[in-house]
Amino acid sequence: MSALAATIKKDLWLLLRDRGALMSLFALPIVFMLVFGSIFRFGADRSEPRALPVWHADDDARAAVIVAAIERGGLFRPERAASAEAARARVAREDVAAALVFPPGFDPAAGRPIELVIDQGAPLQVRGPIEGALGAAVRAALAPSAAPAPPALVARTPPGISKPLAGITSFQVTVPGNGVLFGFFLALTVAMSFTEERRSGTWRRLLASPVSRRAALLLKLGPFVVIGLLQLGFLFGVGALVFGMKVAGSVPALMLLSLAVVLCATSLGLAMASLGGSEKMLGGVGSVVLLVMGLLGGCMVPRLVMPSFLRSVGNSVPHSWALDGYYAVLVRDGTGVVDLAPQLAALLAFAAAFAAFGAWRFSFEDT
Amino acid sequence: MSDATERAVPPEVPALALRGLGKTYGDRVAVQALELEVPRGRVFGLLGPNGAGKTTTILMCCGVLTPSRGEVWVDGVELAREPLRAKAKLGLVPQELALYLELDAVQNLEYFGALHRLGGAELRQRIDWVLELAGLRERARELTGAYSGGMKRRLNLAAGLLHRPSVLVLDEPSVGVDPQSRNHIFETVRTLAADGMTVVYTSHYMEEVEQLCDRVAIMDGGAVVAEGGLPELLAAHARGGLELELRGDVEAGARAAAALTAITRVAERAEVLRCEQPAELAPLFAAIEGAGAKIARVDSFESNLEAVFLRLTGRALRDDP
Repeated sequence: MSALAATIKKDLWLLLRDRGALMSLFALPIVFMLVFGSIFRFGADRSEPRALPVWHADDDARAAVIVAAIERGGLFRPERAASAEAARARVAREDVAAALVFPPGFDPAAGRPIELVIDQGAPLQVRGPIEGALGAAVRAALAPSAAPAPPALVARTPPGISKPLAGITSFQVTVPGNGVLFGFFLALTVAMSFTEERRSGTWRRLLASPVSRRAALLLKLGPFVVIGLLQLGFLFGVGALVFGMKVAGSVPALMLLSLAVVLCATSLGLAMASLGGSEKMLGGVGSVVLLVMGLLGGCMVPRLVMPSFLRSVGNSVPHSWALDGYYAVLVRDGTGVVDLAPQLAALLAFAAAFAAFGAWRFSFEDT
Repeated sequence: MSDATERAVPPEVPALALRGLGKTYGDRVAVQALELEVPRGRVFGLLGPNGAGKTTTILMCCGVLTPSRGEVWVDGVELAREPLRAKAKLGLVPQELALYLELDAVQNLEYFGALHRLGGAELRQRIDWVLELAGLRERARELTGAYSGGMKRRLNLAAGLLHRPSVLVLDEPSVGVDPQSRNHIFETVRTLAADGMTVVYTSHYMEEVEQLCDRVAIMDGGAVVAEGGLPELLAAHARGGLELELRGDVEAGARAAAALTAITRVAERAEVLRCEQPAELAPLFAAIEGAGAKIARVDSFESNLEAVFLRLTGRALRDDP
């Protein structure tokens, strides 16, 4: 058996007997996928329209017309409140995000507007869509035209972006999001493995064997590429088979992207190991660094809802490129290897930079 | 016995030769320019207090640390010029239990054997051989984390032997083991040496080195302060002394004696002191009795390696750097 094959076999055995690593690399991502997938429901599995408490006087026909128009829009499910105060109380209790109160004799044109009950301290990302949708529905209902107006806007995907897959579910986003987040946790496993080998003396044994130092480094890193591929294979496999995640683009493109992610995470592990420190320090600081990178890269919160400054910062972490690539190949029909060229190039550039830094900084002498 | 001799090495070529070997860390000199030759087929003891540079020296010999200066030659092959060939001739048994405790003995040995390009039937044969040698054949499929300290030490030794090196380097191989395992390790070392393997043995235990080694080098402050066969070292550096058996306040008596001369305690018998032969006996006896102890017996003794060691390296406490 070659030294590399023996090392891979040894590291796979060690992984199987390391419950902590199994948990963080395989079990935890599945839990996160499940939880986030259930929270951010949209698309084919979207939940019911939002409940919208409304109050107006029983004899207010204009208000009833507006409410009916809102219901027809399909985004909200109006629910008659017993009183204006009852409608406001449901928002105050955070039972619902918004409510409408139609004061008697309301007339927006005359300065007597309809009251939108909403927490004005809520983030713009939450308030904006509700205010926009309700505002448009109310305006349309207040100024009905006799003949249906031609649509003022028509949605079209620009050239260069493939058509999105029909009937996608939230898991189409949460599987790659958590796959990338926890895929990069491989870096921590790599870095801690160096520390553990130095502490136990097995690193000395490796350096004393007839392999060059460069080969020793590759022998240490090689098995983690295999482990990383197994991890992503497992996560996407569960995503597809259990959570119904679909692959809109080409499977080879998905595999190539995963290989680039694993190479990047392994190189990042070498870079982290080259900075030294105890297992305890690596576990603490390394976890925080990887979580922040994942956050900036959009693994936990979509980058679309981030301020432009944070979106720009996100480009400086490999996670964002990996996620863009996964989003394209999972959601956009016909995405192939060529379409992923920018993401693949960026990830390989990150991998090369991490590897170069790690190789430059790594101390063989610090045994 | 050894595999690693891919061509006949003339007998006059030392198994291991250090030529001006040194290591510095910044301003700190860990090992000064060492000149040392380890003859073929011998058990060579490397002694020294903590921080003397023993481990740094053997790690340089095995290619784990890069020397700041000088050369290492293994069986006539220069380590810096042909590292892979030279390292193939060496077997390192580190001071730490350099094992994967989550794997069983066979899994550990398969991995370490593969690093030495062993595989297939040959590797299985070697694994059987070292497991037999280490007395672990019956427990070979148990996780090594469940082994006793002595079993782990024996497996540590076995892992360094798999490729049948010309030169086996043992760094404190008997630390923390029971007398049975220590004895087993001694027997293994003797067997290997009898079969022609050269062994470099570092230890803090003088009696081990006295029992096992043909030649000894004593290091201190990164330099070899004495080297030779045991009789030569004793003749050159040792003096006989007195053995005193005390009664009464033994500790106070020992302290009083230590103020006048170098003393050692006999490990198993707290009441027995050994001291170098003083120029005058009367002040020593008076000091001991003045401290509240009675001298029950006075004998003379032949010197040993420990006395040589203490004489050469001093009595001040040493802590690891």
